[in-house]
Amino acid sequence: MNITRRNVLLGATAAAALGPVAARAQTSEVVIGVIYPFSGASAQMGVDAQKSFETALDIINKNHDFDLPLAKGEGLPGLGGAKVRLVFADHQADPQKGRAETERLITQEKVCAVVGTYQSAVAVTVSQICERYQIPFISADNSSPSLHRRGLKFYFRAAPHDEMFSAAMFNFFDAMKKKGAKIDTLSLFHEDTIFGTDSANTQLKLAADRGYKIATDIKYRSNSPSLSAEVQQLKTANADVLMPSSYTTDGILLVKTMAELGYKPNAIVAQDAGFSEKALYDAVGDKLEGVISRGSFSLDLAAKRPMVGKINAMFKEKSGKDFNDLTSRQFMGLLVMAEAINRAKSTDGEKIREALVATDIPGEQTIMPWKRVKFDELGQNNDADPVLLQYIGGKFVTIFPPQAAIAEAVWPMK
Amino acid sequence: MTAETIIQSLASGLLMGLLYGLIAVGLALIFGLMDVVNFAHGEFLMIAMYATFFLFAFFAIDPLLSAPLVAAALFVFGAVVYLLIVRFAVRAKANAGMVQIFSTFGLAIVMRGLAQYFFTPDYRSVTHSWLGGKTVSVAGIFLPVPQLVGALVAIAAFGALYLFINRTDFGRALEATREDAGAVALVGIDKNRVFALGWGLGAALVGLSGAVMAMFFYIYPDVGASFALIAYVTVALGGFGSVFGAFAGGIIVGLVEATTALLLPPSLKAVGIYAVYLLVVFVRPRGLFGSM
Amino acid sequence: MDTNFAKSRRRDLILAFCLAAIAALVPLFVKDVYVQNIMVLTLMWGALSQSWNILSGYCGQISLGHALYFGIGAYTTALLFTKFGVLPWFGMIGGGVISAIIAMALGYPCFRLRGHYFVIATIVIAEIGLLLFHNWDWAGAAMGIDIPVRGDSWLKFQFTRSKLPYFYFALALACVAWFVTWWLEDSKWGYWWRAVKDNPEAAESLGVVVFNSKMGAAAVSAFLVAVGGSFYAQFVSYIDPESVMGFQFSLLMALPAVLGGIGTLWGPMLGAVILIPLTELTRSFIGGSGRGVDLIVYGGLIIAISLARPQGLVGLFAPRRKEAAR
Repeated sequence: MNITRRNVLLGATAAAALGPVAARAQTSEVVIGVIYPFSGASAQMGVDAQKSFETALDIINKNHDFDLPLAKGEGLPGLGGAKVRLVFADHQADPQKGRAETERLITQEKVCAVVGTYQSAVAVTVSQICERYQIPFISADNSSPSLHRRGLKFYFRAAPHDEMFSAAMFNFFDAMKKKGAKIDTLSLFHEDTIFGTDSANTQLKLAADRGYKIATDIKYRSNSPSLSAEVQQLKTANADVLMPSSYTTDGILLVKTMAELGYKPNAIVAQDAGFSEKALYDAVGDKLEGVISRGSFSLDLAAKRPMVGKINAMFKEKSGKDFNDLTSRQFMGLLVMAEAINRAKSTDGEKIREALVATDIPGEQTIMPWKRVKFDELGQNNDADPVLLQYIGGKFVTIFPPQAAIAEAVWPMK
Repeated sequence: MTAETIIQSLASGLLMGLLYGLIAVGLALIFGLMDVVNFAHGEFLMIAMYATFFLFAFFAIDPLLSAPLVAAALFVFGAVVYLLIVRFAVRAKANAGMVQIFSTFGLAIVMRGLAQYFFTPDYRSVTHSWLGGKTVSVAGIFLPVPQLVGALVAIAAFGALYLFINRTDFGRALEATREDAGAVALVGIDKNRVFALGWGLGAALVGLSGAVMAMFFYIYPDVGASFALIAYVTVALGGFGSVFGAFAGGIIVGLVEATTALLLPPSLKAVGIYAVYLLVVFVRPRGLFGSM
Repeated sequence: MDTNFAKSRRRDLILAFCLAAIAALVPLFVKDVYVQNIMVLTLMWGALSQSWNILSGYCGQISLGHALYFGIGAYTTALLFTKFGVLPWFGMIGGGVISAIIAMALGYPCFRLRGHYFVIATIVIAEIGLLLFHNWDWAGAAMGIDIPVRGDSWLKFQFTRSKLPYFYFALALACVAWFVTWWLEDSKWGYWWRAVKDNPEAAESLGVVVFNSKMGAAAVSAFLVAVGGSFYAQFVSYIDPESVMGFQFSLLMALPAVLGGIGTLWGPMLGAVILIPLTELTRSFIGGSGRGVDLIVYGGLIIAISLARPQGLVGLFAPRRKEAAR
């Protein structure tokens, strides 16, 4: 309470002090549209994303001593110190609304770039509209691999997609097998959405390529009232690794139902989503000792790069949570976009696109364990190396790939 | 598919089915009393789950103990909803059916919005309740204790409801009002009071199921949506207005759901429930136990 | 009485013509694409609600499963175009015909059901359709269908930025749906339906013919809704099961008619003109908060209007005419 009131007061004083300057700066204000679900079943994702974007905005617009693009100094130096302003729009997880809101952002709010969207289905229409209006779109946290393969010129993704994530999992399995772990059979458990389907298809393909046997492949309806029948089938299959692709709600129910039906999997390697959410660990963390999830962020990095810890603290003050896989990608999405606008020295869509194409940010200047940010001709950053994290003693530690790992994987899980 | 898988699935389905019945019976009761379907039923459940959660989070009251409190709170809530909204909806001179559907549907949206406003859209869970996560195993078949208790609560609630309707004065008044609302006014029964109490009772039963559900299910503003359609189908399958129908309907729905998941890809398991509903009403247009 | 009725019908027709003409001119003055987008959606939902009203308002068979026909229309067009290169105009007709046939096939057993049993049957059938499309790999399953847009073309009915073609199509659809309703009101079917509503005994004697007329109403209603679905697929140029067949679409088709006046000629359009801009604007301007305020406003209005004007808002505009119609 105290904190919020003080912030409001500070903000008010700052606004008053900046009053005369604001008039001048207004002419070169840079507006970026941010489109997320702010109501409906996934509203919490939008709320968390908003906090993450505000953290990134703080770093761009205010002076911070971090080795990040745009951290030092205020605003965008390439545009005469122009401040970035964000306009948030609600797409309610509906592709049509995402499309309409993107159009509103572009035509009414005059945004020069768009960042979004959490749901992959909405990213499809949002990126289509951006393409039509020649406005660059950064898909901050969509992991569906089909998104960047549609020949769009204005589509960019700095973060990994599910094929890269899944490949990391299978690399990990291969490495563990070499060390003598028994990993022959896999159980897939995925929801019936774009995310779940894409993830499972990738995993099926990788398993076939690398000689792993699929013990069972269960597609379930998201937000089902009960998962007993599904879990019973997983239990019967009893594979060496259980690979869930589930959001928070189903993730919680899955773990609870497994405990209730006495199914203790040998190991769980999760496709992120629910398995990186604080709510899930608050609910069933005690049953998840040793669970492994893919991710693109790891707080362990703070040991090597102290600014990661500081920025995480900034985010935590706003949201009460640590950065997770999603919020960290959202943070980077805005930063990468702002960095390109700064280099473009313009708010023209085509110029920003050219700048994005030329983006080359070394990994050390991000909060991620990535090699660097550099887009291929499809707008995908292939140097965004995913990591695998294991939940041990109430927190995540990086266990893979070896260059980022700080601990050996505990296998099988407890 | 082993015999164990089949038995386990059916056992889980039966437990879940009894809970479905408990969730749905309030709906059946209200419909039986005054021919109104509450389209905010799922949101009543959501409120009950939140109430259980907050009693647990702030006062450390275990769901097992808070269940009567939650039921009482929902009783008041249900009566208030009747007096503030439904009372006017049933009075509508034109399109009464439509007005009921859409006023309660509007209520559902408002309740979701309010839940999001006050409780945030974050996912909550009751952690470390006495029964949560406990499970008993009988010959390799696992029966989770919260659902087991839920099933017992459901059976007890149905028994109590049966006695209540048939053996008490209020129950008889309820029954009389249902049969002829005009005539009861002549014998001095206030129709509105009976209806309000009926809504309270219906909501209290949802409250009870919400408290049980909170032991093993996640809680967020849209959680009711997962159960609402199942509750309507359960009631319609059993026959609108029949309390016993809701009980039987719940068990059937639970078993059909479990069986379908064994035969079809689990993502299609709801198709089994819906298909059974259609088959039943095509043969018996008033459900299994509805008055013909 | 009859002359009065005929006169009021003529007046309706003239009024509709004038309104359509005025509506057609609006985009010449309103250039903002966001506002145009709202106008397209308003006309589309008005047309859909008008079509829904034929079965549910005039016939009294309340369907909360019309999303099924909407989705079939959208999928037929999108699948024919992306898989076989069939132009959306044919897909539209094809989707309409398929929907009409399905509506009659489903109507045959369902029209025996009364009240809530019927309503729940419609919900459940649409839900089965949703689940089947969700699991139908050839039709894209959960991945949906991305309709590639390559420049403006009337032939392929796709336009990159301009909303005008969509606007005029939606306007035409709304006019057709309105005209069909207008024509049905004065047809043999219209008389039967009114007779059945006013006098349940009449229903007995008319049993068979009324049953057949209901099948007809279901077919007409489903056909028009499917055309709306085809239009939506072209308009959004991406569809997935949830975004064309979800339960919320069934509700959205019913809501304008209920708010405007169910079973009335002008109700659905009036309801859409109020409801759709309201939905869009609340989301755009107070939905970004993440606190659900838009839901509270939206739901509150539904409660208030349905309680305050159970006969719909249309009565506010023409209290005299209602008596004339009797």
